[in-house]
Amino acid sequence: MLNADDLLALGPLLALLAATVLTLLLVAVRRSHGLAAGTAAVGLLACLALLPGAARLAPRDVDGLLLLDPAGLFYLGLISLAALATCLMAYAYLERFDGRREEFYVLLLAATLGAGSVVLSDHFAAFFLGLELMSVSLFALIAYPAARQRPLEAGIKYLILAGLSSALLAFGIALIYYDSGSLQFSGFGACFGARPMGATGQAWLLLAGNALLLAGLGFKLSLVPFHLWAPDVYEGAPAPAAGFLATVSKGAIAAMLVRYAGETQLHDQPAMIVLLELAAILSIAAGNLLALLQDNLKRLLAYSSIAHLGYLLVAVIAGGTLGAEAVAYYLLAYFAMNLGAFGVIAALSSGRRDGEGEADRLEDYRGLFWHKPLLAGILTVNLLSLAGIPLTIGFIGKFYLFASGVGAARWLLVAALVAGSIVGLFYYLRVVIVLFARQPAAPAPGIAGNGAAWASALTLSFLALTLVWLGLYPEPAMELIRSVHAPFYRTEVSRLRLRPPPLRPSLRM
Amino acid sequence: MLWLVPAFPLLGFLLLAAAGRRMGQRAVAAVGTGSVGLSALAAWWAAIDFMASPGHAAWLQALWTWMDVGGFRVTASLYLDPLAVVMMLVVASVGFLIHLYSTEFMAGDEGYGRYFAYLNLFVAAMLTLVLAGDLLLLFLGWEGVGLCSYLLIGFWYRDPANGRAARQAFIVTRAGDTGLLLGLLLLFATLGTSDIQALLAAAAGQWPIGSPLAAAAAALLLLGALGKSAQLPLHTWLPDAMAGPTPVSALIHAATMVTAGVYLLDRLHPLLILAPAVQAAVALIGAVTLVLAGISALFQHDIKRVLAYSTISQIGYMFLALGVGGWVAAIFHFMTHAFFKALLFLAAGAVIHALDGEHDIDRMGGLRRQLPLAFWSFVVGGASLAALPLVTAGFFSKDLILWQAWSTARPGLWTAGWIGALLTSLYMGRLVFRVFFGPATTPARRPFGWAMGLPLVVLGILSVVGGYVETPPFFGDVRLLSSFLGAVFPAAAEAPSGAGSELALGLLAAVAAIGGIAAAWELFRRRQRLAAAEGLLQAGWAPNWGFDFLYDRLLVLPYYFLAAVGRGDIVDAAYAALADLTRYCHRLLSRTQTGRVRWYAAGVAAGAVLFVGLGVWL
Repeated sequence: MLNADDLLALGPLLALLAATVLTLLLVAVRRSHGLAAGTAAVGLLACLALLPGAARLAPRDVDGLLLLDPAGLFYLGLISLAALATCLMAYAYLERFDGRREEFYVLLLAATLGAGSVVLSDHFAAFFLGLELMSVSLFALIAYPAARQRPLEAGIKYLILAGLSSALLAFGIALIYYDSGSLQFSGFGACFGARPMGATGQAWLLLAGNALLLAGLGFKLSLVPFHLWAPDVYEGAPAPAAGFLATVSKGAIAAMLVRYAGETQLHDQPAMIVLLELAAILSIAAGNLLALLQDNLKRLLAYSSIAHLGYLLVAVIAGGTLGAEAVAYYLLAYFAMNLGAFGVIAALSSGRRDGEGEADRLEDYRGLFWHKPLLAGILTVNLLSLAGIPLTIGFIGKFYLFASGVGAARWLLVAALVAGSIVGLFYYLRVVIVLFARQPAAPAPGIAGNGAAWASALTLSFLALTLVWLGLYPEPAMELIRSVHAPFYRTEVSRLRLRPPPLRPSLRM
Repeated sequence: MLWLVPAFPLLGFLLLAAAGRRMGQRAVAAVGTGSVGLSALAAWWAAIDFMASPGHAAWLQALWTWMDVGGFRVTASLYLDPLAVVMMLVVASVGFLIHLYSTEFMAGDEGYGRYFAYLNLFVAAMLTLVLAGDLLLLFLGWEGVGLCSYLLIGFWYRDPANGRAARQAFIVTRAGDTGLLLGLLLLFATLGTSDIQALLAAAAGQWPIGSPLAAAAAALLLLGALGKSAQLPLHTWLPDAMAGPTPVSALIHAATMVTAGVYLLDRLHPLLILAPAVQAAVALIGAVTLVLAGISALFQHDIKRVLAYSTISQIGYMFLALGVGGWVAAIFHFMTHAFFKALLFLAAGAVIHALDGEHDIDRMGGLRRQLPLAFWSFVVGGASLAALPLVTAGFFSKDLILWQAWSTARPGLWTAGWIGALLTSLYMGRLVFRVFFGPATTPARRPFGWAMGLPLVVLGILSVVGGYVETPPFFGDVRLLSSFLGAVFPAAAEAPSGAGSELALGLLAAVAAIGGIAAAWELFRRRQRLAAAEGLLQAGWAPNWGFDFLYDRLLVLPYYFLAAVGRGDIVDAAYAALADLTRYCHRLLSRTQTGRVRWYAAGVAAGAVLFVGLGVWL
């Protein structure tokens, strides 16, 4: 049922798939860390290289399962870039790792593939498959140093809780299917929007299904009240995996949520918007408050990511083209900032042995600037950007969110965004002050590791430069995001179909 | 190419800030001076290009769009029109001469690299301000200038008094900056664009003359200009700003900082035209300032403070010109003032340098023979400042201002200007006679070299010939400047009375200048007898007309009082409570992080129940 154009359009995903399989086979034939990392990097580069070709054919509906539109391909590119950065940073991190190192890349590629199909999915089947592929790979990535206690604990926690959330998701999807008779987002969207809420006997099933769906997604996005797992898992996971978890898995779900909301006209359902609003405000408040006096950098970043996802929801709720653009820009910023921050932790932790844990206590960073100026400088830029200081990408991203919130007259959310940013300033700057403290914590034994591995240093420098460059001159990125979002939200967009849409069972009203 | 003009000094600043400590003084001087030199070359190149282009159409160079979100569009662009050309040339060229002078003046100072880094940033900020095509960039330059003035006034930070002076300059100008920011935001909010030309066009289109919005915007901008340009009532910082190194004073007074306010009002003059009441206030403030500052200058003993008050007074002339619609006259006086005030400060610096940091004019005297170059520089600069007729640049620019005050039928303003002219020549005469004539009291110890001498000579020449670009009808009737600036400004209102009365007024101004100097000589000769009287007067005048005292009582003390009351009290308690509340919430929420999976799972389940319940119920 696929033709040549479909294959070309699917090229990026197929490249990821091929890379996954190839890496897996290579590991079986010959164990070589460099080879595995190289294959993974080449596969991700191939995926990126095929994106423009796929974009030329977009928007394209592949067999009802995937919708290859420019925005989805943009997110795929973002995810691949993040995976590439993770891959390069993990290379330095794992170089001194005692156990087997090669499988990390297989899992990374598989998770990326899953995330890719999540952002492109137009059908619950594709979405759920992609999500599970991503989650299962993440369990293993989190617990990768399985001989150590904390990663193992974190992995098991994530396994159990993610299983719970998947159950919620599946149940929600089932309810939606029961009511609408369709698993395709666009398939049941129109009727969902037109339904008078609560007036008919069964609309509540649809509502309950969507509420469960949002709960499941909320877990993956670590929104309050589904956020409790995040700090423990972040703390236990090896730093590159934690960075990947914070960016790719959350970013993919957020992108999917925007698409889902757009296609199903979720904004016409006040109840769902109230739920999202609640989650956003609670996340901003709780995330920032929890991070306030945190002494562990990884936990701090986990809490801050809860807050940042809350900020992001402001634009999701605002909706419209501006909202979608704001989400895209903010995710771009969020990816760069968090990858950089976790990358620095990874670089500092790479020399550590079992039992030492990672370099994540704030104490480990005291006076870092005076013996590792590059890493401290990069971390400073990342933290300032997370705090949303002007001339960094974080400021532009936050401004975008702000503009979309104001445009949609969501004043409560905008107020929460502003208040949260003020609290956030405190704990980000607290870390910056520690970095520049005059009494260095005598170049601690663990920190003296091989943090200068060039791949990692280069990636981190590139990320930090991107942060500043896109903060000073954000126009190219904005231009790109505007162009990929141009046709996305127009309801009259004519979708290129290869075959007539499948017959749907008539809707029971 | 235009962007190179501010880019060179900025680059110099970055280089010096990054590596200044590791570079030798020679390298620092080369980078610091070279960057501004290149900038001046680029400025001249751009200016010649501009003048060669037919019709002098303005250039707009869009650098980049900073953001464009939901109709909110901010671009960074440079704008070059005749007004910007004049400003740019003066700033870059005079800035270069001051840099050159500083290489020798500051030699041996331990903060040599830091000094040139700040100085470069100062020039870069001022050039950005002058060339900015949109309000955001203009504001960036404006704030940059303020920051650098703070850094440079407090350059010798080991002395707490200098730090105090720097803070005072920063806080007082900040009061004005708040007004400016509000004004800019008001303009932005009501007119919807930050591009200056589009904004002015929109303002002219939407607002009738005398509309309250235009008046509010103009008044707020005026507040910003008053702070930056040290006009009444925000002038108190400038005399104390003498704490910085002397070349910095030259830079602040002649080429950069204080003229920013004049430039701002000139750049946005259509707004002033739309608000006649504000324009009248500008004229009035200028007139009052120039007289009061002139009187203050008469009674100062610090050589630099005399010059500082004279700057306030001269900027008062520029404001007077703006107030009567003499847009060209204001710029003309800015230009000549930049030449002779830089010359005077640099010459004063040479004197101070030679006397090992002596500032008090009572301990100077008879330096004419010992420091001939400084003496002649002072004579030329002082003559120009006192507007000695026909042979100095200052005469023509001041005469144009007075003429325009007269021709717009404001005899009161003209009288103030005339009295100011008299005062100017009086205090300049006093300064020159005191320092360079009479018996030698302190011997000059250090001669100075070419790097300090050359700028003096160049500026001296400019102070003489700089005025011949615009002369009155009775003396050649050259109109180079006004025809060049004609594209920017509407023609100044000319009274029909014509050349005859202009000649008469010119003669009166000449009388004021020469009379003042003669009176100064007379007073100098009888100084012994007058000393007592002067001492008496000083008690009244010298402390800045009681402004410092007034502000101290009116603003600073109540502020301290409130701070003392507020310490550990109501306001603090509110903030502390907020912080405590946040901490308390943090602790409360932290308890939810138990680390137990079953608790987490229960949390997820409870959340799901909550969601479903709310989703269905709502």
